[in-house]
Amino acid sequence: MSLPALSLPLAMPLMRRAVLAFAMLLATPMLATLPASAATPAETFVSDNIQKGLEILRDKKLSAAQRSDQFKTLLLRLVDTRRIALYTLGQYRNTASPADIDAFAAAFQNYASAAYQTYFSKYTNQTLKVTGSTQRNPTDFVVHTQLIDPGSSQQPAVVDFRVRTDGGKPVLVDVAYEGVWLSLAQRDQFVNFLGQNNGNVRTLIAHLSDMAVSLGKPTN
Amino acid sequence: MRRGLVLGLCAAALCQFLAACASTPPSPDALAANDPFEKTNRKVMAFNRQVDKYFVIPTVGLYFLTVPPAGRRGVHNFLGHLSLPIIFVNDVLQGETEKAGHALGRIVINSTFGLGGFFDPAVTLGMPPHREDMGQTLAVHGVKEGPYLVLPFFGPSNPRDALGLATDWAIDPTNLIPMKQHVWWAAGRAYFTILDLRSQNYQTLLDIQRTSIDYYSSLRSFYRQYRQEQIRNGRKPDPAELPDF
Repeated sequence: MSLPALSLPLAMPLMRRAVLAFAMLLATPMLATLPASAATPAETFVSDNIQKGLEILRDKKLSAAQRSDQFKTLLLRLVDTRRIALYTLGQYRNTASPADIDAFAAAFQNYASAAYQTYFSKYTNQTLKVTGSTQRNPTDFVVHTQLIDPGSSQQPAVVDFRVRTDGGKPVLVDVAYEGVWLSLAQRDQFVNFLGQNNGNVRTLIAHLSDMAVSLGKPTN
Repeated sequence: MRRGLVLGLCAAALCQFLAACASTPPSPDALAANDPFEKTNRKVMAFNRQVDKYFVIPTVGLYFLTVPPAGRRGVHNFLGHLSLPIIFVNDVLQGETEKAGHALGRIVINSTFGLGGFFDPAVTLGMPPHREDMGQTLAVHGVKEGPYLVLPFFGPSNPRDALGLATDWAIDPTNLIPMKQHVWWAAGRAYFTILDLRSQNYQTLLDIQRTSIDYYSSLRSFYRQYRQEQIRNGRKPDPAELPDF
């Protein structure tokens, strides 16, 4: 949106820019490591763990397979994929057999891991800053964050994480980038897909399994 | 004369679109998704993707090859600058006084110190860019979105946003200036707007496409959610609106 390298000279004398650059240099590591003051457990959970995920994705010492495995391990520890899977089935959850639901949850786990890795790999050089949270009910929180790109003057991207704590420990159940909730979008397409395939969950399972394999392959 | 011809062609395309809609019975799932014209929408989307594949993407590639990043940023800034009068009007109509002030400030500062809008010194003075359009204004004043539509060339929309798009075009001061070469100006602006927009969201759309089992449904959901976010103007949504898991 903006053009910092060319517009700054018009607005700032050289000395002021030097001071600002030094201050930003000092502030950047603090933004990267410190959660917001008086952080709630849900905020700390997001701040610590998403940063870990970004560190795995930006670790150049790891091979592509190692990176994918480590990211998936972290994701499975943080995200309640079964709960999301059941939600994304919409009304077809009520008519699917328990065996199909289990098979779908397993296929969804592999698909979600590959899809999340695709989305988050674009933000490995950015820093996550928790800006607050909203409590939906005693065990349901929305943690608000910003993804800050140190090399850009663009406004930070707003990313919200939905955290549930009703299982005894915090787990992620959804993520929204600029107001777009991923699980809601997945539910819309899965329900549409099932509607076009006579509600056959096994067709969806096969399709998701193929997609997980295809997403795992390196792109050109 | 030329303007009349363009409007006539648009009206003919709209009539054909509506006729196609009327002859396509909606499925129960399409009605449930507030998408009664889904079959027609999918056809229009397929057409748009062909235009994208054979015309837009190659020209975006050429644009990247021939114009350096600083030049592309300048084009992006200039196109955003041209939209500022519309943004200002919509800010005022929505009662967003602070944002209206920013839009006005951006017009003054970027027109002068920003060399006609190619540079963006206003952002360093605390006036970041923002978007507003008549579709958002109508939504703020309670107009419902209506069924989902995919417009030829323009992509995801709905009747409210389509009306907003036409209104913004009609009140755009650069379209009101009597100019001998007005059609070429409008076509050039539209062409560079498409290049700029597509070059900005190329990777995002590719990722959505790669991770979607149904690209059409994904875009529909993303569009609706993103528009809601824009209409809220940065205000946090009511947590009660979120679905139960």
